[in-house]
Amino acid sequence: MSNHIVENLRKEIEAFKIEVKTEKVGKVLEVFDGIAKVSGLSDIKSSEMVTFPAGEVGVALNLEEDAVGIIILGDFSKIKEGDEVKATGRILEIPVSDGILGRVVNAVGTPIDGKGTIKAGKTYPIEKVAPGVVTRQSVDQPVATGIKAIDAIIPVGRGQRELIIGDRQTGKTALAIDAILNQKGQNMICVYVSIGQKDSKLRKLQARLEAGNSMDYTVIVSAGASEAAAMSYIAPYAGVSIAEYFMDQGKDVLIIYDDLSKHAVAYREISLLLRRPPGREAYPGDVFYLHSRLLERACRRNAKYGGGSITAFPIIETQAGDISAYIPTNVISITDGQIFLETDLFYKGIRPAVNVGSSVSRVGSSAQIKAMKKVAGTLKLDLAQFRELEAFSQFGSDLDESTKRQLERGKRSVEVLKQLQYAPVKTEHQVVTFYALTKGFMDDVPVEKIKEFEAGLIEYSERNAKTFYKEVMETKMWTDKGEEQLKKAIGDFKASFQK
Amino acid sequence: MSKVSPKNIAEAIYEATEGKSGASLAPAIKNSVQILHSKRMLGKSEEVLKELQNIFDKKTGTIRAKITTGRDLGTEERKRIESEIKENYKGKSVVSEFFKKEELLGGVRIEVGDEVRDSSYKNQLEKLKNFLMQEK
Repeated sequence: MSNHIVENLRKEIEAFKIEVKTEKVGKVLEVFDGIAKVSGLSDIKSSEMVTFPAGEVGVALNLEEDAVGIIILGDFSKIKEGDEVKATGRILEIPVSDGILGRVVNAVGTPIDGKGTIKAGKTYPIEKVAPGVVTRQSVDQPVATGIKAIDAIIPVGRGQRELIIGDRQTGKTALAIDAILNQKGQNMICVYVSIGQKDSKLRKLQARLEAGNSMDYTVIVSAGASEAAAMSYIAPYAGVSIAEYFMDQGKDVLIIYDDLSKHAVAYREISLLLRRPPGREAYPGDVFYLHSRLLERACRRNAKYGGGSITAFPIIETQAGDISAYIPTNVISITDGQIFLETDLFYKGIRPAVNVGSSVSRVGSSAQIKAMKKVAGTLKLDLAQFRELEAFSQFGSDLDESTKRQLERGKRSVEVLKQLQYAPVKTEHQVVTFYALTKGFMDDVPVEKIKEFEAGLIEYSERNAKTFYKEVMETKMWTDKGEEQLKKAIGDFKASFQK
Repeated sequence: MSKVSPKNIAEAIYEATEGKSGASLAPAIKNSVQILHSKRMLGKSEEVLKELQNIFDKKTGTIRAKITTGRDLGTEERKRIESEIKENYKGKSVVSEFFKKEELLGGVRIEVGDEVRDSSYKNQLEKLKNFLMQEK
């Protein structure tokens, strides 16, 4: 046995080739707050990795005439003035492999979930130019988020970038988690990038995903609140590199950046420490490019270039609903639409607190399945009219029949769009619910009983309208035969429900 | 105007004193010191001198090398190393400092400017360690 070990070791040592190369080195001039100023390193490239004697890795960000500004990834307390810094000649990269699925890694790809090392496959550079025009294809396949308000009114397509924006405690992360939970069996890999979040929140989230058996197709990239700002800065790029690894295999990937406001704050900290000039809200001038180059990497590639897609859900936290602050306006303009979450709605009990009026999806409607388009097409307009009428009806008591009907329908629509957390709804169930709503089957059901009716209807119709379900699932649209069956099922169920 | 760096001052001093000697050199040096004083950079005179040395080395083709070995070298070996450096960097002359560091165990470590050529046993063992620790 021991002979065997020695033999193996001998073979490995024989495989090791000694080569002496001339290396570029520098000397640390000063170290502070995760930043090192280094002299020498004359031929270094921007975002090249450097190594410090204690094993820490740094990234060159500022290339000046006679010094290099380096951000240190990790603990900078062991680095002293005069330490020798070695250039590696490689741009910052992270290890990627299929083994990363189901794991929690930090911003440089090191596992932090205590489940041992990840077998290394390839390495991917963290910064990469986004796919060009010829490699792309327009968005035409849906991402089923399982959230009724989104799938019906603000549909998201594979390869789209949809911003989730709202104040603190409005359910932004909950929305993203629901979307991940619903990807089970949808042929989608999920990457959740946690930027500057509390470790307790991350743990809770991981436990929730594990409970839903969703970690099998999910990777969590985490840069915690206690880690250096440099880690928060590179975490989203590391996340999208992992996503690209899977996209290069032709897979569809959903990536969530939670959240980019903290990312911008981390980048501001680094920039100010590197003495770059501050601009609006003290953010550096290239903060727009910071996010645009990240989100541009979300794409849908055409079959000629291997297919696959990256759908991005960036999250932005606003302060007291101020969406005209610097970072929110930037990210709104970069993305293909936004989902607004509002505190008022949240406390009114409308959860998810999506403000349907100001939320939009600029490209997703072409990705919506035909059946859903048919039942939910007028929903957004109906809801807008309902809100207007609702404000108006508070003044007068006498309303004509059609207005009353519209109001009643609106109340039921709002009720139908409410949904519990961690309870994503399948697309075919959504179609049945919205069919019943828009065809007026729910108009005589009391508002407080809508939820009960909906649950019962789904259960009943699944048993008694099998043709309809089969048609919707397979051809994405129903035929007259299926519709007849569903109509009958709804009628039968309603009769038994009202008894 | 951007800040004046020690390098700028060193370049200026070099240009002002180039080719001068004796009586004409003294006022130039005096003025240089006065400029350092007026720019409040007397504290940085060390750096200015270092930069001056660099400029002078560049002009004269002098190469400054730091050579560290595990044991003392004989004159013959030293000469051979120096001539090798001269050839490699295509300089006119080599000014080298020799150091002895037993922890290198063997081999040579040559430093020229910001380039290092480390063939010491210590460095190679370090590399072997990293190689064996790599995941395969």
